[in-house]
Amino acid sequence: MSPNVRKFIGALAFLVVAAALPFVTDNIYYIRIATLIGIYWILVAGLNLVIGYCGQISIGHVGLLALGAYCFAILAGKAGVDPWVATAASALLGGLCGLALGLPSLRLPGFYFAMTTLAFGMIVAELSVAWEWLTGGGVGLMVPFYPGEFASPWGFYWLVVGIAAIVSWLVWNLGRHAWGRAMISVRDSEVAAAAVGVPIYKIKLYVFTFSGVLAGLAGALFASYQSYITPETFVFELSMFFFVCIVVGGRGSILGPFIGVIVLAALPEIVAPLAKLGTFFYGVLLLIVVLLLPEGIGNLIHILRDRFNPIERRSSGIVPDLERLAAALRQGGMK
Amino acid sequence: MKTLQAKGVSKSFGGLKALSDVSIEVRPGEIHGLIGPNGSGKTTLLNMICGYYRVDDGRILLGDEDLTGQDIQTRARLGIARTFQKPRLLQDLTVLENAMLGAWTDHEASFLETAFALPRNRKDEARSRDYARELLHGVGLGYAVDRRANLLEHGEQRFLEVARALALRPRFVLLDEPAGGLTDHEIDSLERIVLTLKDAGIGVLIVEHHTDFVFRISDRVTVLHLGRLLKHGDPHTVETDQEVINVYLGA
Repeated sequence: MSPNVRKFIGALAFLVVAAALPFVTDNIYYIRIATLIGIYWILVAGLNLVIGYCGQISIGHVGLLALGAYCFAILAGKAGVDPWVATAASALLGGLCGLALGLPSLRLPGFYFAMTTLAFGMIVAELSVAWEWLTGGGVGLMVPFYPGEFASPWGFYWLVVGIAAIVSWLVWNLGRHAWGRAMISVRDSEVAAAAVGVPIYKIKLYVFTFSGVLAGLAGALFASYQSYITPETFVFELSMFFFVCIVVGGRGSILGPFIGVIVLAALPEIVAPLAKLGTFFYGVLLLIVVLLLPEGIGNLIHILRDRFNPIERRSSGIVPDLERLAAALRQGGMK
Repeated sequence: MKTLQAKGVSKSFGGLKALSDVSIEVRPGEIHGLIGPNGSGKTTLLNMICGYYRVDDGRILLGDEDLTGQDIQTRARLGIARTFQKPRLLQDLTVLENAMLGAWTDHEASFLETAFALPRNRKDEARSRDYARELLHGVGLGYAVDRRANLLEHGEQRFLEVARALALRPRFVLLDEPAGGLTDHEIDSLERIVLTLKDAGIGVLIVEHHTDFVFRISDRVTVLHLGRLLKHGDPHTVETDQEVINVYLGA
């Protein structure tokens, strides 16, 4: 069985378990936490491609989340638009704003890009207070539930699990194929990327726009989950939280940041003493990972495998198979 | 048959004149050695041919096509591949994935086609995987295809760089000090690989310090000194040239 098939089966098994959660517990509190994890993951899955794969540090995704949330609240709440249409509009708006933000800033070196995303987050936060006629200002907005079955905590949970599963499948496809390799080449060596023809700016722009779509989508779900949103809902710490999930999870991994979201969101809720520690807990975890396990928990398997499975060295050295090489070159042809 | 040429190129970095009025031509199926003392402008010239640096003056041509204003990605699409002095591999990916990166320009699937794993993406992947695997076996890394690149030894990294460059299906390959840090046995393997590329009709430009390796393998050799063309011609003529011996080879 190839590793990819194994991973796919593992993911399916996890999905079945996740979907069965409401039958295991009737504690609404747990369902609520699991729903929130799913919503966070929808955003982090896209942001992970930006940070963990392309190596571009964005700390403004809470701004995109807020945009999606307000878009949903205004359309589905104030304007009475169908919630499904409002959700699509949130995703679209997230994508458009991601594109508009990425167009000028993704040409900049990493540090300046990070600063533009920070500025974007601050602008959105400020506007959500200032544009009272639209956002309700400091008072905030009521947000409707999704219709029918999806209004119940269980229905909404299943909706989030379904969307999160589709999103996971999309980022998994992107990560392990040519686009994923191109993203990692942008992160690790722009020089090598360019030399094989990878259009660096275009890759970053597509990925960042896609992360905007997912952040907008997550925003719509997040708004409905909160049922009431104010500017206070979208604190800067949320952006930090997303970032820490990815760093703790490990770059270039999808499973790692997923575990990161689960652990960082669930642990303080379930283990009461940790909740008291608040961001202290995140800080300590971040410190431990950066100092002791800089590749993140997602790469722990690789690290352990390398340690306990030393590769055999070849005393004979590299022996080219020239006939096979010539045949390959003949068959491949030239540009 | 298209040749790859730099015609009268010059380049300055700040006040430093790195290259002045240098011309070089690589023909298909030719191995062209580029040698010279440190700081003579060899790598600068290579960087201008592949498009990493823009020329201040002069032109880069592929056949009749003027590449001077084209960026590095466009040149890669036209079939100019290169390796690096210090191997630049994606450490977290496998050897096979590193080689597959070289086939990027042959991938047709768009972002969304990849996200939804549509048939074109699967076809791209299968094709580049098969091709990269054949190339890796060809250069002698068949035993390491599934190994992660950070576990490779120095020599293996160099051969992987060659395989990645070949995955581009290039007309011309620019090798930047490919023999640096290799054992004698590995240099011998490299030599046979380069000769195989030549037989396949690929033009190879080699920047190298191992002069005996260069003179043994090259069809023509160009010598740079202080950013100027000192000598070019067949290996024997260059090797025995008094000026070349004086400034570079030594007595």
